[in-house]
Amino acid sequence: MSAASAPQPVKLSLPLLYQQKLFEELRKEDELVILARGLGLIRLITNLLHSYDAAGNNLIVIVNAEDRENGWIGEALAEHAAISMSPKARGLTVVNTDFTSVGAREKMYAHGGIFSITSRILVVDLLTNLLNPDTITGLIVLHADRIVATSLEAFILRIYRQKNKVGFLKAFSDNPEPFTVGFSPLATMMRNMFLRKASLWPRFHVHVAQSLEGKKKAEVIELEVPMTDAMRDIQNAIMECVEVSIHELKKGNTGLDMEDWNLDSALLKNFDVMVRRQLDPNWHRVSWKTKQIVSDLTVLRGMLQSLVALDAVSFLQHLDTIHAAHSPPPGSTRQTQSPWLFLDAAQTIFDTAKRRVYTGKQKVGPDTSVDSLRPVLEEQPKWSVLADALEEIDRDLYFEPVARDDSNGTILIMCSDTNTCRQLRDYLQTMHVKPRTERKVEEFYDPDEDRPSAAFMMRRRLRNYLKWKREFAQVSATLFAENQKALSGAVDPRIGQSKGRAPANKRRRQRGGGGIGSAPSRLDNGSIAQHFEKPGEVADLIAEIQTTEEEAGQKEDVVADPLEDMDDYYQMYEMQDLVVIHAYDGDQDEHVLEEVKPRYIIMYEPDASFIRRVEVYRSSHNDRNVRVYFLYYGGSVEEQRYLSSVRREKDAFTRLIKERASMSVVMTVDAHGIEDPQEAFLRTINTRIAGGGRLAGTAQPPRVVVDVREFRSSLPSLLHGKSMVIVPCMLTVGDYILSPNICIERKSVSDLISSFKDGRLYSQAETMFQHYKSPMLLIEFDQNKSFTLEPFADLSGSLSSVNPANAGANDLQSKLVLLTLAFPKLRIIWSSSPYETAEIFERLKAQEEEPDPIAAVRAGLDKDMKAEEQAFNTEPREMLLTVPGVTPKNVTNLILQTESVKEVANMSVEELNPIVGREAARQIHGFFNKDLIEDY
Amino acid sequence: QALPTRSSGSSILVSPRQKGNPVLACLRSMPWEYSDIPADYGLGLTTCALFLSLKYHRLHPEYIYTRIRNLQGRYNLRILLTMVDIPNHEDSLRELSKTALVNNVTVILCWSAAEAARYLELYKSYEHANFSAIRGQQATSYAERLVEFVTVPRSVNKADAVALVGTFGSLKNAINADPEQVAVISGWGEKKVKNWCKVVEEPFRVKT
Repeated sequence: MSAASAPQPVKLSLPLLYQQKLFEELRKEDELVILARGLGLIRLITNLLHSYDAAGNNLIVIVNAEDRENGWIGEALAEHAAISMSPKARGLTVVNTDFTSVGAREKMYAHGGIFSITSRILVVDLLTNLLNPDTITGLIVLHADRIVATSLEAFILRIYRQKNKVGFLKAFSDNPEPFTVGFSPLATMMRNMFLRKASLWPRFHVHVAQSLEGKKKAEVIELEVPMTDAMRDIQNAIMECVEVSIHELKKGNTGLDMEDWNLDSALLKNFDVMVRRQLDPNWHRVSWKTKQIVSDLTVLRGMLQSLVALDAVSFLQHLDTIHAAHSPPPGSTRQTQSPWLFLDAAQTIFDTAKRRVYTGKQKVGPDTSVDSLRPVLEEQPKWSVLADALEEIDRDLYFEPVARDDSNGTILIMCSDTNTCRQLRDYLQTMHVKPRTERKVEEFYDPDEDRPSAAFMMRRRLRNYLKWKREFAQVSATLFAENQKALSGAVDPRIGQSKGRAPANKRRRQRGGGGIGSAPSRLDNGSIAQHFEKPGEVADLIAEIQTTEEEAGQKEDVVADPLEDMDDYYQMYEMQDLVVIHAYDGDQDEHVLEEVKPRYIIMYEPDASFIRRVEVYRSSHNDRNVRVYFLYYGGSVEEQRYLSSVRREKDAFTRLIKERASMSVVMTVDAHGIEDPQEAFLRTINTRIAGGGRLAGTAQPPRVVVDVREFRSSLPSLLHGKSMVIVPCMLTVGDYILSPNICIERKSVSDLISSFKDGRLYSQAETMFQHYKSPMLLIEFDQNKSFTLEPFADLSGSLSSVNPANAGANDLQSKLVLLTLAFPKLRIIWSSSPYETAEIFERLKAQEEEPDPIAAVRAGLDKDMKAEEQAFNTEPREMLLTVPGVTPKNVTNLILQTESVKEVANMSVEELNPIVGREAARQIHGFFNKDLIEDY
Repeated sequence: QALPTRSSGSSILVSPRQKGNPVLACLRSMPWEYSDIPADYGLGLTTCALFLSLKYHRLHPEYIYTRIRNLQGRYNLRILLTMVDIPNHEDSLRELSKTALVNNVTVILCWSAAEAARYLELYKSYEHANFSAIRGQQATSYAERLVEFVTVPRSVNKADAVALVGTFGSLKNAINADPEQVAVISGWGEKKVKNWCKVVEEPFRVKT
């Protein structure tokens, strides 16, 4: 298995030609590696790391790794160390926010080894010289595609390269697409990373192709599954909604470049992200409605996905939830709804989804109110195909026993997420259980009976659904009870409506066949009302799907498997007979393949990178045969998405190769090589200083005290670029301290909006005035965002918009006005970009004294409290602040005396009382304990 | 003739210097009148505004300093209402930031005459407003509060919030639920479940 082809005395696990080539290249020089997805990037990195690890005496830092990657790398390193028995290997140490004090970190760094450090900690440690850049042997950068000039990682690399010219620096990415946006993106990226060489490894690279397309190819059987008519109808209806939403978006935002906002691109995986990105420069200016539509697009795209992923009942349930969340409370006349809910197509969606589950059966006349419902329970077409495939495999195994090879007889089923896993597991478990309700007497053997079907599972789901729906009706009723009080009297006003009013959509009903009982009626404001069945109907339906004896005999649906049962389940079986269902999980899939060693793989959903992983797996092992079944819905969004993702990756690589070809000329002409970008950088700094801005002042270099939380923004990096000394501190008051007098609170536009909303800015301004003479509010726009606060809506404000009674209810301008009125001495700095901010800071600091970090940290702290205790995690705190009864004043108390949100939620009024007071305690307790099912 | 000074407290006072400024045409929802004041606009007893177009500022950089000096520290809140009407505004804005610090004025940027007028109107009409609007108002109904609470963790949306309480009945149950139980709810993918459970159990204080 391990080919010791590299000249190192360590054992590597890189059996394929391209892997070895790449490894040798990496050992030799610094470069940026872009590898096609699924070709085993992590494996390459761990092998590389191991080759350094085995030598001992190294200090290597991994930058930008995700949590799970840390896990994989750590495991792989330990494994490697065990295999090649290298005594010096020390494995991976992860440094993140959870633990390790400053002292402990220092000791660890001195000890050496391989570290994966969260960027925010790393940058602070580098700046405070806790981790001296000189001592670092090398840096490994993951996800190189995410590194832009202003990012924290770029900052880290700059500090590193300024002080350490000899250490190695290798960057990796398996995502080529981001390298193709913008002007000469590859060159820019590489300049950011101080790298000179890019190494591209697409699937069509000659070495890759050679390695994967040899004799040992995997056998692939493609199965195109047609969607059912209902599914296609729903898909078309959703697409129509998407189209209309896009149209609305275009109408509402004239003047923006929206050429590629069309239905085709709407199919792409990241369409909503794309729209977001395009709107982003103007996000603070667009109208409320536009924001609503953009979020609608996300919802609609999610629906497209869940249409093929979820079974009919779950899909209906999902739709119900979406609908409940998006409709206004009953009785409200506010027009805050999503536009797509007003469309006929939306009705088709809800209607058809319902008809897939159950349908009304007419008993007497066309318009009598007594309809009975009858379950339909449409099955996902893929299920039977899956069952067929399994049967075929069975037969295969029976008629021609497995040729002796290394793989297990295991069947591996891959699908997109754990929910699908669960669904498939249920299906496979129960597909031979028959609910025999119709046929009381079985006399003859009916071959049809043995067809696998999901009837049992679907019936169980429908039962659960009906139960859920009953509760849900109550929940939503309770949720919106305040508004509903006006309508009290009627149990459910919508039922009355649907019977009394001549339905506007009669034609549709008739065309829809038996859908009488299920056509959603419309609310007065024209949107679709949520439909709740009449009790009589539901009773019929329940009777229809009553548990039969056989069903009762099955074991109950287990939702959460307690982990201790694991042993019971898995030790009893041979790998030979197992069917393993697993969700795609990036690089983790590689390990799954290696561990399971499947003989058959069924890809329930298409995934381009997994196909490559299978290729790699097959080619890496001489003696393992693999047969792959590949299922997809023909003509569906799923298929489109798969194809376009493959195409886009290929395009990206082609463009990268082109750019590299034209770029390399420039780089070779340049004699400075690797030092160049950095020297250029230093030069710009030096000329600025030579400008003589700091004639007065002290001998000290200019210094800025920066709150550690601010390292998420790019400003510290840019200030550092202006040759200011950055002192990272945990600040309670302000974000940047420029001088003993000047304290600055930085707000991006979106921050500004949210901190006006929750009143944070007001209290921040208050505390700043307590401790500093000249507090300032910095309103910082993004580099690429339009530098204006002017909304697209016209400003011909009516009298009411300037009425102090609804002050602050509307736009940012009015809140700014209030803020300046409240704090006349608060200065506002407007900056069009972080680059500008750095310039402004430089100017503001001129002729001022340098700030004192210790005084800055002390400001705002309680005298008897240590600095560390004041550091809070923001999200739980934010969460707590939304709870009624919690105010900005008592929240600190609450946080100091309790552990987590969970603890607060479980406290009684008596326990809360001493902390926040009686009234607030009652409110908090009530908020968490309000039972929506019982309290109706 | 002699103009009555501060004839009425409810209108914006405009210095005659501003005659011909397009901003005046946009002042529609508040009354205004000419008055002999040192500032360009009188927006109340303690508030005044100087109007500055960056185009003009670039030609006559000393103008604004004279004007600020003439105010003689008379008003408590002194707005420098700056109209950004040139594309390369960076240098001027940098300078104004410093000026604001030294000369005790507050810079407010606007991008059109209409916006400038709106600021003036707002300052006048909010003269006696209270500040509750920016001290944080919270959603009132339980449903809104609930949605706000649940959607704090990243990637959790409104529909998820409704589904969550719909499944567990109360927030307390939802908070105490196991990740596996949450994962069963439609719409709750692994990422959301992870974020939710993490935030709920995360200690408030950072352990160091």
